[in-house]
Amino acid sequence: MRFIKLYGKCIKIAIAGALAYRLNFLLTTLLATILNALFPIVTILIYNAGASFPGWDFYEVLLIQGVFLLTSNLAYLMFDGVLWTTMQHVREGTFEVVLLKPLSPLTYLVSTTFTPEIFGGVIAGSVLFGFSLFFTGVSSFAAIGQFLLLFAGGFCLMAGLCLLMSATAFKWVDNGRIPEIYDSVMTFGKYPVTIFPQAVRGAASFVIPVAMIGFFPASALLDRVEIAAFFAVIPCVLFMLFGIWVYNKMIKLYEGVGG
Amino acid sequence: MIIKLNNLEKTFVTYKRGSGFGAALRSLFKREKVIVKAVDGISFEIPEGEICGLLGPNGAGKSTIIKMLCGALFPTGGEINVAGFKPARERVRYVKEIGAVFGQKSQLIWDIPPIDSFAMNKAIYGIENSLFEQRLDELVKLLDVSEIIQKPTRVLSLGERMKCEFIMAMLHNPRIVFLDEPTIGLDVIAKANIRDFIVEMNKKGTTFILTTHDLEDVERLAQRIIIINHGKKVFDGSLETLQSELGRKKIVELKLHKNADLLDIKGAVVLDKKSQLEFTLEVDMDVVGISEFVGELSKQAEFTDISIKELPMDKIITAIYAKSHS
Repeated sequence: MRFIKLYGKCIKIAIAGALAYRLNFLLTTLLATILNALFPIVTILIYNAGASFPGWDFYEVLLIQGVFLLTSNLAYLMFDGVLWTTMQHVREGTFEVVLLKPLSPLTYLVSTTFTPEIFGGVIAGSVLFGFSLFFTGVSSFAAIGQFLLLFAGGFCLMAGLCLLMSATAFKWVDNGRIPEIYDSVMTFGKYPVTIFPQAVRGAASFVIPVAMIGFFPASALLDRVEIAAFFAVIPCVLFMLFGIWVYNKMIKLYEGVGG
Repeated sequence: MIIKLNNLEKTFVTYKRGSGFGAALRSLFKREKVIVKAVDGISFEIPEGEICGLLGPNGAGKSTIIKMLCGALFPTGGEINVAGFKPARERVRYVKEIGAVFGQKSQLIWDIPPIDSFAMNKAIYGIENSLFEQRLDELVKLLDVSEIIQKPTRVLSLGERMKCEFIMAMLHNPRIVFLDEPTIGLDVIAKANIRDFIVEMNKKGTTFILTTHDLEDVERLAQRIIIINHGKKVFDGSLETLQSELGRKKIVELKLHKNADLLDIKGAVVLDKKSQLEFTLEVDMDVVGISEFVGELSKQAEFTDISIKELPMDKIITAIYAKSHS
């Protein structure tokens, strides 16, 4: 309850901070919306050329990508700031400011690094999700329940990966390239995993279950989800718990900078 | 005792890298490990309500000690107990008892007014509305910042920001406040305001631990001084004890009426001779009393002005650093 109140307060402060530079906020949000709206461009080109992802029609693929955008941007809204703020604090030796607060550093950082500029991505994801869902429809109420469960799994995975990346800053200090590796891995979650070879499909479903970010929850809405997808929620939750554990362990490596 | 340090140690592991392209390339495959003992067996106790100055040259280990006292760093060895807590191990409960102001690390949010940062601290510390209002009102009046707390932090001067940093650190009414170079970069008026505030809060019972390179901070504030060099404690005592560390000496500045080629007074050494008429002497009070010195001086020269001062703190401290280094 205290965390929710604190989070609410910090969101207001973050929005107030972002609005201090109104033009920058509007431009950043607009750009994020446009860039995210261009996300399904490859899919549009493929289907306009008469080709397709085998077994998936145009709106079904758009739905997967809408869910992917929504999940990833909601996770970025909460955790992207943790990643960059941790890196900055460790590099500049100012992490003491975080450790002075009577909260777990993660709670403090998640609360205080809310990034309103990512709203553009959430808006684009919501529009794409709503648009594609209008054409595909939802198979049943049960499908909505399954979607929410798998959607939460995808969110847990994103959170876990963000925290693991953030934790590396305590050891390697400047790790600006790691998010790029992460983005490359995420690519496999943007398309129906059935189009990939068997080994990639297995890895994207159970090793680093990026299929949970878009493909599995969208499949649930389309009543095309396989039972195995629900088992993939377990590694997603484990990723998040592992991310929290590693982050908290790595804080002990923090050394500050020379005084 | 509110603070107890027993044989405290902190070791850092760094890697040695030579200079130049070849050394950088070799360091990709093999790096030489270097163990740095930043804090080497420090012990001291501080009673509640004291203002203690922690002095030392750059890299002496002062900030590392402050970070361990704040619970931000885990000690490598020894024991540390503050207000009944082991700071790093019991950090979340412990930090409610302390506040900290770092001269070079801001806790304020840059783009919004300090009042909003204070409100965020209220939520973080779970301070009740009435207590928050009362405390904020008291601190704002003491520091005279009622107008500036409504302006965005980024437009405030360094002195105004530092005052707000103090409010940020003290809203939750901490028992102990750690200050790491709190007056760095401030003008004389801002420094005086900050010092008055510290004295006022200390009268109300707050314990302060202060690291600084500004010896005026020490002279105005510290009831006790601990000097650290190369991670070791090299002095622990009062300002008076520190001032007598090099013996009971005074500095005498003289302006003579007429040329005096030679001033030969037992126990007095000429430190500086700006001209034939202006001298600076160091007088050892254990050898010659002040009236005896003035009497002898009157016999040897006619003077138009004389000022007698304590030995400057920087000289004493430099001597202690040098002694501990050798």
